[in-house]
Amino acid sequence: MEFKDYYKILGVSEDADAKAIKTAYRKLARKYHPDVSSEHEAEERFKEVTEAYEVLKDPDKRAEYDEVKRYGQGGQFRPPPGWEASGGFSGDGGFQQGDFSDFFESIFGGRGGGFRQESRAYRSRGQDIETQLPIFLEDTLSEEQKTIEFELPDIDERGRQVYKRKSLKVRIPAGVRDGERIRLKGQGAPGFGGGEKGDLYLVIRLVPHPLFDVEGHNLIITVPLAPWEAALGTKLTLPTLDGSIRLSVPPNSQAGQRLRIKGRGLPTRAGRADLFALLKVVMPDHMDDNQRKHWQELSQSSSFDPRQEWSKS
Amino acid sequence: MTVGERTVTFSFEQVCLVVELPQPELEHIVELGIVEPGGNTPESWEFDADMLAMIRRASRLHQQLEVDWPGIALAMQLLDQVEQLQLENRQLRQRLDRFLL
Repeated sequence: MEFKDYYKILGVSEDADAKAIKTAYRKLARKYHPDVSSEHEAEERFKEVTEAYEVLKDPDKRAEYDEVKRYGQGGQFRPPPGWEASGGFSGDGGFQQGDFSDFFESIFGGRGGGFRQESRAYRSRGQDIETQLPIFLEDTLSEEQKTIEFELPDIDERGRQVYKRKSLKVRIPAGVRDGERIRLKGQGAPGFGGGEKGDLYLVIRLVPHPLFDVEGHNLIITVPLAPWEAALGTKLTLPTLDGSIRLSVPPNSQAGQRLRIKGRGLPTRAGRADLFALLKVVMPDHMDDNQRKHWQELSQSSSFDPRQEWSKS
Repeated sequence: MTVGERTVTFSFEQVCLVVELPQPELEHIVELGIVEPGGNTPESWEFDADMLAMIRRASRLHQQLEVDWPGIALAMQLLDQVEQLQLENRQLRQRLDRFLL
């Protein structure tokens, strides 16, 4: 088992006083709290910091830890021979999940062993669980069947918290939106003492689409046009989420202009939202002499000044 | 086959039970406008799944960061703004990438 240097984790010196430890903890807790931080591995870091503070804030535990530290520095850690884990310590509401490292447990015993037995004696409801579910835009159009996999916390025969993988077939209703929560009643963590099971919440995440962008319930597709198509207008085949349609681009269209196609967006409670075709004018990569001649003629016959705005000031 | 429920509502008592929050604390959360369950009395409040998730988040932050409730209300509002901006930024960036060459 790896030795954990709690002083290093909190970034304090070994002779730091209680006040310095508390300040260091509070700063790091704010930085890494999983509800606040978008940093990679924030949850792991937060647990580590909480565990370190749990030990260093308590003079007795800190003394115990310092003794172990003197004995077992450097890489691998094995508790000293004859070391008795001082069990029965009850947590005072630090990290709710309460799953501290094996290193912690080898010194201080299973956190809240007493607490868990207490929970068993009383009826208590199982934890609610949240898990993310990626959904393709196409799949929001109709009710979908999905097989989801997730982890549920449970208590093993030694009274320790473990995670078990579970898979479940679910029906996802049509028209779900990004960030929406879908409840699966009674599919969360098991309860204690005959208490009911918690619920499972699926948080919908719409997967980015290669063609369509999402804006509220509307969709946007970027349509590349040749300059003469923008000038003269054209009819083209436009992909939508459910099959292709014919789109008329009017003559003299501008780059950045949006054409609305009603009822081809994402589903809402009030019917389908809209699809917008966003026009983008692109130049051909190459030009031959004949084409150059046409552009030159156009250039000579036109009095259009695209930078008219500049000359006003 | 399990059917996913889109619209779920919870009563005041149910939320307190599920989040393990004392009733006065939840009243306080509503008074501060962290969630707005409608109605004038706790009996008439209806919480949806999103509000439940927000209450959970508020409660974790309150306990684990030792921030008082008005501070949590401010933090939640700012976090919400940050998330909205990040989402908008991501979407605009993607659209810009498609539009530029």
